[in-house]
Amino acid sequence: MCLGIPMQVVEINGFNARCEAKGIEREVSLFMLQHEDIQCGDYVVVHVGYAIQKMTEAEAQSAWEIYDQMLAAEDAQARGT
Amino acid sequence: MSLSAQQWLQRIHTLNLPAPVKLMNVCGGHERSITMSGLRGALPKAIELIPGPGCPVCICPEEDVFEAIQLALHEPVILLAFGDMLRVPVNVPKHQPRSLEQAKAAGADIRPIASPLEALQIAQDNPSQAVVFFAAGFETTTAPVASMLAQGVPDNLYLLLSGRLTWPAVAMLLNTGQAAFHALIAPGHVATVMGLPEWEFVIQQHQMPAAVAGFTAESLLAAMYSVLRQLETGQLALDNCYPQVVRSEGNPTAQAHLQQVMQVVDANWRGVGIIPASGFSLRPEYAAHDARQQLPSYADEARRYAGAMPPGCDCAQVVLGKIYPNQCVLYGQACTPRHPIGPCMVSDEGACRIWWAGGLRQSQG
Ligand code: SF4
Repeated sequence: MCLGIPMQVVEINGFNARCEAKGIEREVSLFMLQHEDIQCGDYVVVHVGYAIQKMTEAEAQSAWEIYDQMLAAEDAQARGT
Repeated sequence: MSLSAQQWLQRIHTLNLPAPVKLMNVCGGHERSITMSGLRGALPKAIELIPGPGCPVCICPEEDVFEAIQLALHEPVILLAFGDMLRVPVNVPKHQPRSLEQAKAAGADIRPIASPLEALQIAQDNPSQAVVFFAAGFETTTAPVASMLAQGVPDNLYLLLSGRLTWPAVAMLLNTGQAAFHALIAPGHVATVMGLPEWEFVIQQHQMPAAVAGFTAESLLAAMYSVLRQLETGQLALDNCYPQVVRSEGNPTAQAHLQQVMQVVDANWRGVGIIPASGFSLRPEYAAHDARQQLPSYADEARRYAGAMPPGCDCAQVVLGKIYPNQCVLYGQACTPRHPIGPCMVSDEGACRIWWAGGLRQSQG
């Protein structure tokens, strides 16, 4: 549950944002990032629907690589049982 | 310039490690990444990676899960919980529902959610009904819950809060001399929210190396190299191996929301007992949203003691890093993800579940 997922901000409406990762869009709260200047196109770490930190595009990409591997490995295992 | 996983591994292999070294992580996300990327097999034999208290679902007190089940069964409420909680078993006589999932099957209105935002929406959509959000989690999850309350919630939304802090469990292990590890890999997203200083005690008070890691193999290996190097040289300093995301001060807004809405209290950890200053409770100003104060209580003091892990389940030992998952005799035998006996096999962050998903099928118990 403590694994935040990198997402890209697509649209901002007050403290609410639409964020995208891997073609999937989600409503994300920016209420915990009030001390930051968040723009469309920025990357954020999202945890249980709340952006907890800004991150760079490069870091978002490398984080996704490992998550993809993890999910693929877990999927393969789940199918095997 | 940052190194690749391969380069970090090479560096680690050049270290002079005469005796076995045990490194503990305290994060289900770390354990998943370590297990799924096969890091254990790639490291020198002398290095053991121990999964520690990194699963909030696993240590959520049995009496809290019981309370949630009873509220859902006997009160006219909609009960919301993170999906992982639904299959967590409680110890009840055979004919009674032993999980939220079974209570749901028995007709209770229980809905799995993935975010406090969903709780908000459901409360708004059902203004005439009491909506109870059973919120278990560590700081990364509890801070968004605090944020939700700080921003304002409908009158009909109540919190059954079971929030926990990560570092006091490590402090408890170290203070009581129960620490069967030599260095700590600290959790990246907890530090993202809470900042680095709360992990300093590992070095300052216990002279034990520590480094904060992210979730890629590179970041985890960088942290492992850092703590091994600290052991080798004897020069200890809390290392931030996830600087792309973790700032020293953490997330100040999140901390302000936690501070505004919640207070830190002594708290029970399932199978472990009370750990000082390790839990969150709602401040009196938020009592109107506290399910424990506004709704009937099904808690009884006897549960706290009767309600440890299910019989035969060694989850508490697994959570404290005292045994590996496959050292439990039930692992892979009576206990599998399909038929979990204990919470460590239920949650995606439970070490038993992660090791099973990683392909380890045999019990050594
Ligand atoms: S294998 Fe099952 S019974 Fe054993 S410790 Fe893990 S969750 Fe508990």
